[in-house]
Amino acid sequence: MFEDPLLPGVTEEYREAAGLSFPAYGVPSKEAEEGTTAEGVKVPGLERWRGVIPFGLATPPGDSCLCYRGGMRRELRWMVVAVVVAAAGCGDGGGSSGGISGGGGSGGGSLGPSWTQGVFQASSTFANQCANPRTGVDPSTGRRYPDLQGSTLTENNFLRSWTNELYLWYSEVADVNPASYSSTSSYFNILKTTATTPSGRPKDRFHFTYSTAEWQALAQSGVEAGYGAQFVIVASTPPRNVVVAYTEPGSPATTAPANLARGAKVLTVDGVDLVNATDSASVAKLNEGLFPSSAGASHTFSILDAGATTPRTITLVSANVTSTPVQNVGTIRTASGTVGYMLFNDHIATAEQGLVNAFRQLSDAKINELVIDLRYNGGGYLDIASEVGYMIAGPGNTTGRTFEKTVFNDKHTTRDPVTGQPLTPVPFHSTSQGLSVPEGQPLPTLNLSRVTVLTGGNTCSASESIINGLLGVGVEVIQIGATSCGKPYGFYPQDNCGTTYFSIQFKGINDKGFGDYPDGFSPANATGSIGVQVPGCAVADDFNHALGDPKEARLEAALGYLVNRTCPAASALPSAVEGGELQLLGEGSMHKSPFRENRILRR
Amino acid sequence: MPRMAVAATVAAALALALAGCAQRSAQPEVPAVLTHPSATSRAELVRVVSEAMNGAPVTIADDALTADDTLIIDRASGRDARELNLRGRDTGKPEHFRLVKSGPQCVLVHAATGRRWTLTSATCAPR
Repeated sequence: MFEDPLLPGVTEEYREAAGLSFPAYGVPSKEAEEGTTAEGVKVPGLERWRGVIPFGLATPPGDSCLCYRGGMRRELRWMVVAVVVAAAGCGDGGGSSGGISGGGGSGGGSLGPSWTQGVFQASSTFANQCANPRTGVDPSTGRRYPDLQGSTLTENNFLRSWTNELYLWYSEVADVNPASYSSTSSYFNILKTTATTPSGRPKDRFHFTYSTAEWQALAQSGVEAGYGAQFVIVASTPPRNVVVAYTEPGSPATTAPANLARGAKVLTVDGVDLVNATDSASVAKLNEGLFPSSAGASHTFSILDAGATTPRTITLVSANVTSTPVQNVGTIRTASGTVGYMLFNDHIATAEQGLVNAFRQLSDAKINELVIDLRYNGGGYLDIASEVGYMIAGPGNTTGRTFEKTVFNDKHTTRDPVTGQPLTPVPFHSTSQGLSVPEGQPLPTLNLSRVTVLTGGNTCSASESIINGLLGVGVEVIQIGATSCGKPYGFYPQDNCGTTYFSIQFKGINDKGFGDYPDGFSPANATGSIGVQVPGCAVADDFNHALGDPKEARLEAALGYLVNRTCPAASALPSAVEGGELQLLGEGSMHKSPFRENRILRR
Repeated sequence: MPRMAVAATVAAALALALAGCAQRSAQPEVPAVLTHPSATSRAELVRVVSEAMNGAPVTIADDALTADDTLIIDRASGRDARELNLRGRDTGKPEHFRLVKSGPQCVLVHAATGRRWTLTSATCAPR
């Protein structure tokens, strides 16, 4: 008995081009059972399962059979089509716990394995079996989507097994019957640890999904739609406070007559009161105006510049703005010698060239100290963080040492379970890695044994790796600002059936084997809930001065600390809760993305 | 014209023609930048890069490849719920394209695969 829907990925329009010229296997056969490769195309085996016969086949519904899905169909040319062979395989109906049972339950009402607590089949058993299979070409592979007809239950089963295999804290995940959840998103949400950090925060704050189509979108490095003004949301609910943190050179924000600069407060957007508006329509207008998702959007703002008493009105038209990830590089003469400063905002590919230029400039200036401003740097390429570590500390401190070693769960101690590569530590790169500088170029270095970092709640991940990597090789790190975000973790995003899942899979440890900073790094005199303490001063963000201005509060505190090892009196500010994060008052959260689902102003 | 002179002239012309052919077949390629980009040439660039990336949507700046011969293509900057960089620790590498001028043609080369696309709407000059 046959039923012959086309396999996902093959359509009537191009079945002639996509099909095989001869059947890949006969039925029954080993190849039919296990799949094979024919004419360069991987042809899946006929999937075996016992259970309720789908698709209204001749066998009475509810009969238990050995059935097949997938396979070949005979045409003028043999096409890659699905075949269901039912009658020949009908057997005794005796399902086993090996995952071939009717079941289905409420998880989409489809067939799937029975659930036995603590017993996991390989995630590959369930991969790409989708409630709604995609068709067409997968941009990530250039091949047809591998999706086959499945169900919500098979997708949930995939998530359950995948989590058990790769999640860093898999042993802390409660094993809940996947059939008891009718949506993959709700089931995925429980597939994480419920433990908390020493400060009381959830241990896993980085568990989320994205639409794969959106995740696969590409852009020129550092280019995204916007005005070229990065806003900080100091308060996201009324009375709101939104301030320009920094701007991108040559962007709509910095072009006359807008001339936006750090510290400018946004008062209205398209006539909507940003500070006080409470209705949802107004909040939607605020978000749309502040964070355009494409080029060409025009919005009008009332702005109060830093130090001004009278607002002014400007109109900004969004564009595809190219960011400059390394800015304001310069030197400051102090009693402790010549101090170099750089603002480093993003570990994107173009930062490699910007950093090489910056470190070369500061090396030529023969600086004695470096202040590197990471307060708005949320991370990115780990190779760039390693390069920064080398360019600060030089070969004497770093040769043969580990910048960061990746540690997976205890099932994967020797090889990266995703790439299959041996787990070798990331060294301190002494040569360029080919991100935006040709690979293999010697990097400049300052050969410093001490560095000062300016941090905030948006200092995250690869930025924290710089701190931890340097601490691991004995470089003195001074921290000025607020507690960093606390993300010593990483993951390989995983697509299944059109959703890309982000689930923590590894943590990074330094040369000393340390990587436990889930509450971030905190300056030594920080109060309230804090992370791993580092010498330095808690200082709130200062929007009244430009970044790199020696009078800017954090930089001023850094320069003072380097001379006399004391913190400014006003720096030990109380903590405030903003967006669920403990932060210094006035710290705010940085919002760099136009993604509309991430609405950032609230009612 | 004496027969010898005619033969010599014909031989010289053939030699020149052959030299020209040889030159065309081995035209040197030089790194290039786009000149006078237009909406049409930008659209072609986006289309070609998207095609090279198996149809993924691509955002490119209006001034792409006008100051540098290299175009770096990366994941569009996804952010998490706090709007922090989604990857945080990215162990991968971006894609690189290079623009070369090959004779009169502007050719985009995908560094990883060596695949080439002639940009028919673009004008370019050696960098």
